[in-house]
Formats: sequence, C-alpha cells, structure tokens
Amino acid sequence: MRALQIAATGMSAQQTRVEVISNNLANMNSTGYNPRRAEFADLHYQQTARPGTINASDGTVLPTGVQLGLGVQAASVSMVLAQGALSATGGDLDLAIEGSGYFEVTLPDGRAAYTRDGALKRTGDGLIVNSEGFPVIPEITIPADARSISVNAEGEVYAYFGDRVAAERLGQLNLSGFTNPKGLEAIGSNMFVETEASGPPLVAVPGEDGLGTLQQGFLEDSSVDPVKEVTDLIEAQRGYELNSKVITAADQMLAATVQVR
Amino acid sequence: MTNTTYTTLTRQSGLLDEMRVVANNIANSSTTGFRSEGVTFSEWVSRLGGNHESLSMARANTRVNDLSQGGLSRTGGTFDLAIEGEGFFLVLTPNGERLTRNGNFTPNAQGDLVTSDGYPVLDAGGAPVFIPQGAGTIAISSDGTLSADGQPVGQIGVVRPLDATNLIRENGVRFRADGGFEPDGESRLVQGFLEGSNVDPVLQIARMIEVQRAYELGQNFLDREDERVREAIRTLGK
Repeated sequence: MRALQIAATGMSAQQTRVEVISNNLANMNSTGYNPRRAEFADLHYQQTARPGTINASDGTVLPTGVQLGLGVQAASVSMVLAQGALSATGGDLDLAIEGSGYFEVTLPDGRAAYTRDGALKRTGDGLIVNSEGFPVIPEITIPADARSISVNAEGEVYAYFGDRVAAERLGQLNLSGFTNPKGLEAIGSNMFVETEASGPPLVAVPGEDGLGTLQQGFLEDSSVDPVKEVTDLIEAQRGYELNSKVITAADQMLAATVQVR
Repeated sequence: MTNTTYTTLTRQSGLLDEMRVVANNIANSSTTGFRSEGVTFSEWVSRLGGNHESLSMARANTRVNDLSQGGLSRTGGTFDLAIEGEGFFLVLTPNGERLTRNGNFTPNAQGDLVTSDGYPVLDAGGAPVFIPQGAGTIAISSDGTLSADGQPVGQIGVVRPLDATNLIRENGVRFRADGGFEPDGESRLVQGFLEGSNVDPVLQIARMIEVQRAYELGQNFLDREDERVREAIRTLGK
C-alpha cells in the first residue's frame, strides 16, 4: 500500500511546518528576527503508463499516461526578509537598520558573522561589541571621557567631550549586503555566517549600494506576524489530520485485502 | 481463477492506484503551486477467441491534471511570485525547460533568479533572469517586468502549454510540456504572493471514502465468488 507511505510523507511535512511555526512564535520578541517559512515540493513521479506509448492490444497511441506521485518533501525553509517595526529604546548604541544589510562582527574563532540585531554595547575598554560581546567591524573604541555618542544615518560615529561644542569623529560603521541573504546560515544568537549560496558580502557605507540606513536609539523588532503564524498553525494541524485520515482509509483497504480467503 | 475474478482484480488494482493519487494530492495540500490530479477508469475489452464473447475489464489508464487556480497567500517576499491565469513560469533544469507554478524564487550568489532547488528562471526571451547586485528596491509588475529603483532590468517569462492535457509531472512541482509552449500575454503576475496548492480537501476526502468503499465492495465480491466456486466444487464432488 503506497498510499500509507505517501500519507506518512504528508504527515511528516506538516510536522516540519509546525516546527518552523513554533520556532517563529518562540522568536516573536527576538530583536531583528526574520520568520522562516517551510516550502514543500512533490516527490518523484512513477510513470506506470507513459503517455505516447502504443497500446498493445490495438496499436493506438495513449494520449495520456498514468503517473503516480510518491508524496511530498520539504523543499526549503527560507527566511522571509521583511523589515521589522522599529521601537524606540533611547539607548545611544541601539542601532536599527532601516532597509537591507547586516552588521559584521568577529567570532572568537576569527570568522566573520553578520547580524541585524543592533543592540550594541561597549566593553570596559570602550570597544563597541554586540550582545554576545563580539567586536563590531570596523572596530571603534569609545573613550571613557566621552560625554555622549551620536551615530548618524550613514553610520558615522561621533563623540562629544567635556565642554567642547564640536563633536569628534570616532569612526565609520559599515553594513554588509548579500546577493542572496536567504542563503546565509543561521548560527543562533541572531547571527549568520556567509555560505556559498549567499555569496560574498558587499561592504558599504549605510545608505549606499542599496543598503539601509541606521537609526540611533531604535531597535528592530522581530518581523513575525503572530496572526499569520497562528492561521498557518491551524492549517498545518488540519493538513496533518487529513493525512492521518488517508492512513486510516488505506489501512482499512489493506484490512479488506487481508480478510479475503 | 475465473474471468469474474480477473475482471474484479483489474478494478481493484485500479482503485489502489487511485488511492495513491488521492493520498498524493492530500500529502501535497500545502505544496506551493501544486496541481491536483485525478484518475479516470476506462473499459478495456479483451478478446477471448474461439466462440467466446469478449471480456470487459477495467483499467485506470488516464490521468487528469486539474489546472484550476489555487488560492494566493501573502508572503511579502520580493521574489515571491504568483500567477493569476493559465500561465506557467519557465525554468531551466539539466534535462531541459520545465514549466512550474511554484513562484518561490530567490537570487543566488551569482545574482541569477533561481527556484528553491536552484534551477534558473527564464525570461521572456529564454535567457536566465539576472538581478543586479545592490540594485535597490526590486519591483515586478503584472506583466513580469523587473525594475530596480524604477529602471527596467528584465522580464520574467510566462508561457502557456500548447497542449495542456499532455503535461508530464516531475518532482519539484514541475511539468514537462512535450507538446510545446507559447508566450502567454494574458496571465498576470502578483509580487509578494505565492499560489497555494489547488487541492480541494473536501473533494479529496469524499473521493477517498468512495475509493475505499468501492475497494471493500470488490473484496467482498471476490469473497463471495470464492464461496460460490467452493460450493460448486463441493456439490460436484458429492
């Protein structure tokens, strides 16, 4: 009974969907989180009677054949790249990216990681780091005697000292863009690393080359839409139930076969 | 075995095939761009020779692709495209050009627009669609024209099979059109939406129950037939 296996692929696909949805809902409040969506594709088709073959009994050509599908599989779980809402936090190192692009940070093993989570901090030495404590590239150190910091939309970091009126430029924050941001590999903690599918990063000043601009004092919320996720969840649950009905029916057919003497 | 049994068996095996098709439809009820499929039975007349009359058998030998429109759902993705109308996207696989309604596309590292399994999407002229790097905001109009910051940079091809009844299914929600295809000017593309599967769960479940009952009826019939033959042998043996 292939129908049993086919329905089982359907159930496992819907289960994958529920797992993706629960991860989205769990990350409803993660800064800069982009929801993921599971995509499905049909499995291989078995051609039991090929269209165009010649009918053995009378020599006519079959206009259409019989193709039996073997179920469904998860084709991809991709990010939905939507801008999350910006919420004001007032923090001078809270930077939201409005538009596309990622901040680059250096992982302890020396690799570059990319994040949209702009809740930046400073270390005891004044170095700008992300929430995990990894330095933001290019590295910028804020002197301990700086009175206040200002980051403009183009990523220039300024500091005000003592009673001086003019601000001093400390450095420039860049953004990295990717031809295929959906191809980035998530490593947790709101960070991603480059893959062959994403392509190399295109580093530029915010606001140039199609990249977004920075907003100081704001953080980007997760772009998870809870209403959409919950409706998807219901759909996935019903899909699962439908497939389990097929299993029951196929099983009963099998039982009828077995009962024949 | 008798002819009666053979005739019933052809129907039973056809019903099993149909059950597989129903199971496949239901399994793919969440597959983007999936087209529902059906089976039709036909009579198959077998010549018996001699003075005997011919024998009719059943055969599930035709498949029907339901090409009706599936529901569109909003995803907001820049390269998520749904087709409103009868057209198909054209993708280039290693085995040739294939048609699909699954518009879940993304640019790859080289900037070519590809399907979720990595095959390039073709433009109206049959060449891969290229998305310039750092192009800014990409908009796709209803006729498939791609524009980056208002400047047209390409056009996504939409085609229509010349012989819609002769589409061969391949995995990845793709169809092979052996009858050829032509550019389709009537379909409209919708950006930020994906077309769901057009499987109607109510119809499929009803069909499934019907198939299941018909199969049980067939098995019942075989059972009775077996009983009849046994009875005949018993009577003759007395």
